[in-house]
Amino acid sequence: MKININNEVIFASTGGRAFEIKGHPLWFIHGSGQSHLSFILQGRFFANRGWPVISADMPSHGLSSGAPLATIEAMSDWQIALMDELGIEKVQIIGHSQGGLIGLDMAYRYPDRVSQLSLVATALSIPVNSNLIEMAKNKEQSAIDAMIDWGHGPEGHNHDNTMPGQNHLNFGVQLMAANKLGALHADLKACVDYTNGHIAADNISCPSQIIIAQKDKMTPMKFGLKAAEALNTNNITVIENAGHMLPSEHPEEVNRALRTFFTKS
Amino acid sequence: MTGDYKFDTLSLHAGFTPDERHGSAAVPIHQTTSYVFKNSEHAAALYNLEIGGHLYSRISNPTVAVLEQRVAALDEGIGAVATSSGMAALFVTVLALCSAGDHIVSSSQMYGANINLFQHTLSRYGITTTFVAPNDPEAFAEAIQPNTKMVFGEVIGNPGLDIMDITRVGKIANDAGVPLVIDATFNTPYLLKPLKNGANIVIHSLTKWMGGHGVALGGIVVDGGNFDWGQNDRFPTLTESHFGFQGVNLYEEFGPAAFINRVRTEGMYNVGPCLSPTNAFHLMQGIETLSLRMDRHIENTKKMLAFLSSHESISWIKHPTLPEHPDYEVAKRLMPKGAGSVIACGLKGGREAGQSFIESVQVASHLANVGDAKTLVIHPGSTTQSHLSPEAMKAAGLTDDMLRISVGLEDFDDLKSDFEQALKRASKARS
Ligand SMILES: Cc1ncc(COP(=O)(O)O)c(C=O)c1O
Repeated sequence: MKININNEVIFASTGGRAFEIKGHPLWFIHGSGQSHLSFILQGRFFANRGWPVISADMPSHGLSSGAPLATIEAMSDWQIALMDELGIEKVQIIGHSQGGLIGLDMAYRYPDRVSQLSLVATALSIPVNSNLIEMAKNKEQSAIDAMIDWGHGPEGHNHDNTMPGQNHLNFGVQLMAANKLGALHADLKACVDYTNGHIAADNISCPSQIIIAQKDKMTPMKFGLKAAEALNTNNITVIENAGHMLPSEHPEEVNRALRTFFTKS
Repeated sequence: MTGDYKFDTLSLHAGFTPDERHGSAAVPIHQTTSYVFKNSEHAAALYNLEIGGHLYSRISNPTVAVLEQRVAALDEGIGAVATSSGMAALFVTVLALCSAGDHIVSSSQMYGANINLFQHTLSRYGITTTFVAPNDPEAFAEAIQPNTKMVFGEVIGNPGLDIMDITRVGKIANDAGVPLVIDATFNTPYLLKPLKNGANIVIHSLTKWMGGHGVALGGIVVDGGNFDWGQNDRFPTLTESHFGFQGVNLYEEFGPAAFINRVRTEGMYNVGPCLSPTNAFHLMQGIETLSLRMDRHIENTKKMLAFLSSHESISWIKHPTLPEHPDYEVAKRLMPKGAGSVIACGLKGGREAGQSFIESVQVASHLANVGDAKTLVIHPGSTTQSHLSPEAMKAAGLTDDMLRISVGLEDFDDLKSDFEQALKRASKARS
């Protein structure tokens, strides 16, 4: 659906079902240079099972207009503004990669707006390689290609797919290329600049869950385990053979792990 | 590039993971119509496009899916749907984009059935086509109308072998908010990847060089995912509510994959030209050696061109790699490895000589196909086009003396001897 926020028209997927507030909606937050299309198979799966789903494109991403946001904190404020606009009090957050940092920051600074937190392929900080940030600024297509390469595990690289006939790597490239120029660079820079992850994790009291991709080259497994320790959670799922883009590469395992954690009204 | 495996590796491996239970190294032929659901929830999830998997082989099949994933990888597309033939691939593409009242701009030099589909079949359903010369990019620009839903052509046009400059035509189409759809049968992704050179959707007749052995029919649609269907309101089949799946908006839900999802959820569901798993297996056997075969096709084509060029019985010869071909430069830029293995040439002595040649070849086969591992020859004037008047022949870019040769992989010495003796007989027929 299209929503007007801060005078910009933005898009949020509702998983293919009409959105209606019931309990605490599932609130998906995409990663750097991604869009709601990272969560196609999560959104549809949970929306069709009766959960209210929101998976918004942040400004300059997917089908949303507006200038890209520069810091993780600004991104959390934007997510909260979107919740306000939709009249939602509390959400269950699912944050992928950079979306995990936003989720941490939201749960820390807006504790009464977040009922629980699922962190997928993320860490307390994401110290993006400076060459990649440069590339995102000057040669965006090369940065996209590199991220799609590193972001996928063996299945993606072998062009196998749970969805018959589809291709992870080439879809990933087109998904990222469809965002507005500059969105990726702004995201990567926001990730590097975010240093409050540890403080946030120490202060978060809502239940949390960590889903780790065993072959993640972008936010390696050990950082996910550290995040779990800091959040004091033992709800940890490691998905074998998966790369960073596990929501699309290993949708069923991700959905299974999420489903055991979500609460329904 | 995404640090991806190279072409030859993809030809052998892409899209297939051996299953854990049996570990079959070859892609198994899943000769089944249907698939047992784990439970009702699983069945519903498959019908709702929430999870991957197969429910009925008209819509998808595990063997066919490996072929789709392999060709999508080779063509650098975001996804593919395989069909029972190349013609079916074109039909489901049109079906996904066009409705009554819509319009297509197409090359005028194409495989006859492609032309016939547009000219005689689609016109009965209210879809009209403007045909323009493939090597006149500006003509495409002029022909695009507000209701144009696709620009279409073959890179190497059949039968005249004119070359469509897809980089230029692609830009012209995209600037007008229309996708470029290319029939890449004659080039295969080994000689040219249209999706990386201006096209948005590619179709292949896999029956030809891709399968390469003349044992199985098949086609495929590959989506480049590089066209923004939401940029204008031309494509309601993709940007408005779909009739199924709770009215899903394919553009919003699947983004760059809207088109290929429409092909599967409408073309395969409602029309059903699905590829049999056994044919998919045969076609993949061919694709494993695509680059080796194409290199040899090109090598033999070069030798054949040299042989025919100096032969006294040949009055003219047409191939895009010959400097006198009007599109030589474009062909060289688009297809540096070679511009396919079909040659058109004129035989002195017209229809009688042509007939005699065709009936005299022994190594080459006289039949109506192209892209087999074996060399194929046909004389359209005395066979496929024999019912046409001289004027109609001319309009179709054909002449009475024309031979079409699809150069195969035989030892060239044998091909040469065979052609020499058949040309000798042909010249006797004319004298
Ligand atoms: C260029 C071209 N496109 C499409 C087709 C149709 O393919 P099929 O026979 O697999 O339907 C053919 C040949 O028949 C062809 O030569």
